[in-house]
Amino acid sequence: MSAIEALYIFDEQNDPLLEHIYTGRPPPGSTVLPLYLAHPSPRPSLIYFPNTNPPTLLYSIVQDNLLFLSPSSTDTEPLQVLEFLHRVADVLEDFLGSPLLASRIESSYDTVAQLLSEMVDGGVIACTEPNALRDVVEAPSFMKNLLGGVGLPSSAPSLTPSATPFSLSSRPSPRLSPTPTNTTSPVPWRRANVRHTSNELYVDIVETLHVTIAPSGRPLSAISNGTIAFTAKVSGVPDLLLQLGCPGGIANTISLPVFHPSVRLNRWKERPGELSFVPPDGRFVLAGYEVDLLGPAALDSFSTSTKSNAGPKLNIPATAAILTSLGPTGADFEVRLSLNPRFSGKSASPLPSATGPSFPRSGGLGRGIGGSGFAAQGTTAAPVIEEMIVHIPLPASVKNIMDLRISRGPGDIAYAPGDRGIEWKINSREIGALMSTDRGGGTGATATLRGTVVGIDEDENLDGGPVSLSNNPYDYDDDQSLSSYQAPSEISAKKDEGADARKMKHNKVLMPSCATVSFSVKGWLASGVRVEGLNVDQKKSKGLGAGVTPYKGVKYLCVSRKGVESRC
Amino acid sequence: MHPSTYAHWSLSTARDLTLDAARDAGSARKTSARILPSGQLKKLLDSRAERDVLEGLRRVVTMSYRQPPSQTLPFFTAVIKNIASPSLPVKKLVYIYLLQHAEHEPDTALLSINTIQKSLTDQNPQLRALALRVMSGIRVPVISQIVSLGIKRGVGDMSPYVRRAAALAIPKCYSLDPNTEPQLLEYLSTLLGDKQYFVTGAAVAAFLEFCPDRLDLIHPHYRSLIRKLVDMDEWGQLATLQLMMVYARKCFPRRTRKVKKAVPASTENKKSARTTKGFYDSDSESEKSEDQEMEEIVTLDPDLELLLKACQPLLQSRNSAVIIAVARTYLYLGTPTYLSTAIGPLIALLRSAQDLQHIALYNIVQVCLSHPEPFVKYYTHFLVRSTDAPHIWRLKLELLTLIFPYAPLRLQSLILAELSHFSHSGSLDPGLVKEAVRAIGRCSQSSATSPKTSARCLRLLLAHIGSADAHLVAESLEVIRHLIQRDPDNHRTTVVRLAKHLDAATSPQARASIIWLVGEFAGVDPENNIAADVLRILAKGFAGEAEPAKLQIMLLAAKVYVHHLNANPPPEPAKPIEPQAPSALLEGFQDEGGFRDPHLESESTPQIPEKQPQEQPHPIAALYQYILLLTRYDTSYDLRDRARVYKALLASPSSTQLASLLLLAPKPVPQTPSPSETRKGYVLGSASLVVGDEGGVGGLRGYESLPPWVKEGQEPDPGLRDEDAASSEYQAGGSGGRILTASEKLDVAASNSRAPELGSSIGGSPVKSLNGIGPAGAGGNRKEKTLDDWLAEEEDEEDEEGSSEEETDDEEYESEEESTEEESDESDGAGEGGRLMK
Repeated sequence: MSAIEALYIFDEQNDPLLEHIYTGRPPPGSTVLPLYLAHPSPRPSLIYFPNTNPPTLLYSIVQDNLLFLSPSSTDTEPLQVLEFLHRVADVLEDFLGSPLLASRIESSYDTVAQLLSEMVDGGVIACTEPNALRDVVEAPSFMKNLLGGVGLPSSAPSLTPSATPFSLSSRPSPRLSPTPTNTTSPVPWRRANVRHTSNELYVDIVETLHVTIAPSGRPLSAISNGTIAFTAKVSGVPDLLLQLGCPGGIANTISLPVFHPSVRLNRWKERPGELSFVPPDGRFVLAGYEVDLLGPAALDSFSTSTKSNAGPKLNIPATAAILTSLGPTGADFEVRLSLNPRFSGKSASPLPSATGPSFPRSGGLGRGIGGSGFAAQGTTAAPVIEEMIVHIPLPASVKNIMDLRISRGPGDIAYAPGDRGIEWKINSREIGALMSTDRGGGTGATATLRGTVVGIDEDENLDGGPVSLSNNPYDYDDDQSLSSYQAPSEISAKKDEGADARKMKHNKVLMPSCATVSFSVKGWLASGVRVEGLNVDQKKSKGLGAGVTPYKGVKYLCVSRKGVESRC
Repeated sequence: MHPSTYAHWSLSTARDLTLDAARDAGSARKTSARILPSGQLKKLLDSRAERDVLEGLRRVVTMSYRQPPSQTLPFFTAVIKNIASPSLPVKKLVYIYLLQHAEHEPDTALLSINTIQKSLTDQNPQLRALALRVMSGIRVPVISQIVSLGIKRGVGDMSPYVRRAAALAIPKCYSLDPNTEPQLLEYLSTLLGDKQYFVTGAAVAAFLEFCPDRLDLIHPHYRSLIRKLVDMDEWGQLATLQLMMVYARKCFPRRTRKVKKAVPASTENKKSARTTKGFYDSDSESEKSEDQEMEEIVTLDPDLELLLKACQPLLQSRNSAVIIAVARTYLYLGTPTYLSTAIGPLIALLRSAQDLQHIALYNIVQVCLSHPEPFVKYYTHFLVRSTDAPHIWRLKLELLTLIFPYAPLRLQSLILAELSHFSHSGSLDPGLVKEAVRAIGRCSQSSATSPKTSARCLRLLLAHIGSADAHLVAESLEVIRHLIQRDPDNHRTTVVRLAKHLDAATSPQARASIIWLVGEFAGVDPENNIAADVLRILAKGFAGEAEPAKLQIMLLAAKVYVHHLNANPPPEPAKPIEPQAPSALLEGFQDEGGFRDPHLESESTPQIPEKQPQEQPHPIAALYQYILLLTRYDTSYDLRDRARVYKALLASPSSTQLASLLLLAPKPVPQTPSPSETRKGYVLGSASLVVGDEGGVGGLRGYESLPPWVKEGQEPDPGLRDEDAASSEYQAGGSGGRILTASEKLDVAASNSRAPELGSSIGGSPVKSLNGIGPAGAGGNRKEKTLDDWLAEEEDEEDEEGSSEEETDDEEYESEEESTEEESDESDGAGEGGRLMK
């Protein structure tokens, strides 16, 4: 039941980069890769090849364009192997610098070899903690690479803390002496003898939005997945206390948390919102959580009433609405992007931060940001939407989009005939301009995109058989609750009788069924979670000089990666 | 690390990635071109300067990753020479090279053993551990004894780091030379009791690898292992949970206590309790049939409860595998109360990266199959998103249908709306449409669905018939057909409505399906049946139909005709006609070659006038004849052939027995179980669960199904787990200077555990004791046993146990097999098509 038999890494061109065999006689990478590539994309993370000898399970992950494969001939726990592959990627990234590039691996095979042989021993996963590995494997440093003459493509050590978590100054001198002191640190996830000249602590909270909006405009689900990334560059063994706060109370907001092993669970249970821990050195993920922005009462409000206004309101930066089957033949569609006025980015807007509640949309059930939510955040007083992209996936039978244009608002459209989707990009500057058109209106800005679909088999199918129309008065159209969910356009389309009706029916199949919005907002979190305090417990900490107060920084980021989805 | 973070990290560095990647592509990664000629490389390796050696080694290691070993083997001696280097970095690289190449040059590799052995006594614990790891990793069987000695030294080392390396070396040493087993067992049992959780985790992993059946080694350390569980690293936790899974099943009998059913509030609890047990417990059948008034409560062994409680903090782990392992422990060992605490963390796995999400979903479905209720409140996580890959939404749709029966009414309507949305929007993926329609079908079939909801499902499906999307129509009709067949009595009017939809349905498959259904219901309620009317209308447009529809019209005509004949048998019992049937059949064959068949005019038409001399033929008969005539001249061979068969079958209006047998046979009710039902037997968290039946009947190689609960009275003595006893035993072993062999310990343990059981166990009956502690078979051979005896005995018993297990398994899985059979029927598209065409 050896978990890991071998590890293969391939670069973006699927050229082999590394093969490390741990135990047994697994099929070589050159055998496994074609089989993997033969599987139609999107490829699942576990593929079974019954025809190889022996029959092989192949685990795969893709990170930073690199493909990590691990074959296995016996039944192993899939998540164990996949987690391991993720850890390998993380450890390599930690040691070689992020992002993980093929050239970085190639230029320091010796370090990679040491890491890989430390991480797995005889097929059993031994140690994947980056800090513990640092105790036994020396990271390739800039200086050493100069001496060694193996050229690293000059990735100059950047001074910003986030780019390279282990800057040159912070690295302890390599232990070349044959008798090092106690190599195993008392805390398994923190390496021994940490020493930093400048003591710094950074908290980054990132939330990823997953919102689904029904055709009626009612949000079906709105979940925000949060991750607290922590960067600790503090000497000795510090004992930290991070306090999180939230307008509605942290215990009511955050659900299903997971923690880094360093976090003391009892403390969290006794006092939710307080994370007490001894951090590993460097950057790590302290916790993950999720927030249901709709609250538990969401289902009750999803009633049979047809009015779309009755639903719970969400406070998200941007949504898209999509209208289909427009025009005389029902071949047109329209995507309407609306931006929340709150994110205009004008901190000097006529209404100061107290404006929040005065906006009509800011109320509602979503326990998102209260008025005080982001005003109190020191980072950005007025959050700005950046890098907005609207994706409109298209059915496979769409041949082309005629007359695709942005009828109102800025942006660029990326579409080529035959594509499976339209991309509508609006850069930050354009968003700013768009927002400024709507100053003080309080309704937010909108932009519109229109297009006409052309199907593949438009011509052949139009002269169909002896078929009558769909709008015969059957006694089956009485499904009221259904129609409340469906787009009103569909019903209106049905009314539109005439010669075009059949064409319309045909075009309906070609209509896009949803639009997704991607964006990122700095300085704002959908859940309203914020850091209320970060303290070093001087009594419990060791090795930190008296009176040293580390520099502390907090960042908030809310992103949506095709996460706000509007159906139609 | 919780996977949701990966995405985030890549986000923060997305720009770096593109920039660096561009530069990367520009420079085209010249490292491979910078390989030195071998002479120069050798010179580097032979150099006295440490820096040169290091540089040379680096290049060799680089080569070994990029090229086959034949390229790097020539440097073997040059590299190995450096093993005595005092420099740690040099040593490390040499070791790495040695591990990769020793197998190809075993003899030369042996030369290095001496130096490595010396390193075992080095001051630096890191080096000691490294040496131990390398020595055990060199796959040269000759050195097994040296390795074993090295492990022995490592076991007693001060540094936990070395002890852990020793633990991990044990399975490697065993695979080198199985004869070392007795010594290794001894080392391992010491390591299992190590105070450092760091070491015990590795020891448990080694145990699982090396001797997973020797549960007797675990007894004395059980409680300490459980206590250390929280502090181990994730991989140690995984190994321990896996071990405890088997251990608990074999050492803690499932005890249940009957309690008066208190209040209706607890019914839900009871229901779920039952389902858990039904899953694997062979006794559940008999228990279920027992008194309904009594509620069964599982009483947990205190030691088992210790384990379950110790798992609780692990639910907040960042490692998804650990969470699944805890859920597995609770599902198979614990009570529903424990399991319910694991549901949330399971759901939390859905926010991880897609690869993990996929596997997690399989496991969630597996838990949901047996315990659907607690998942209801997490429904928002199961809504399909447009970015989901097919393998993800497939499972999400399944989850939605699984929770459907337990959902409150509003949620049911939301789920249905969701499903109908995906069945409508044919845009994204035809597969999604298909699955969504099927899911609606499953929702309406579940027993808990109210008739009203069921009717709504049907309405949803009926609404699709007019759609322009052929996939959607075909799939909807398929599901409608299943629904109607399951409950024909209530769906008479539905068939009438379906028939009306014939006007709208364009897809040939859809028309064929409807016509078939009409034919199936042709015999019901003969007074006002529409089948004949439908046939009349269809006959008019026969020429314009596609072939599948024509086939069904033909069949419909035959069925209607048979019903007609059965209802109005020809006035004369017609004895002379009896022998004519076969002849007609023969004639049909003879006529094959001829274009014009005289049979129709010459023989059968005269017959009818014989009976009804001056009358017009009944309209149904006339219709049938008309269709027969039309098909006779159709272009399709298949159609013509079928027409001949029906004609021969129905040649004589008076003998319709054979025809009704063929045409009117009752069709089996199709079953559509949840797609994952076939995987239900696989253990949570295993790869077999993900791969499913593709992996072979008994799961993949190395798959181990869950052992059954040990029977009451056959479990090992709980006293063995007392830590005092264990430690004193060890002290005795140590101080006596004589180390007990494993077999002796077994004997001791066996005699210990026999005492309380003498009364209950029936003499001579072989009692299962996989863990080697149950009473020995016959009293006679209780002399001194060697380990081999013990092992042999265990094997025998294991076999016996295996067979009995199979029996119970058969019983248990009977219902499941049924469903799989039905499923296979289902999936057998051809068979179904054939049935349709009948």
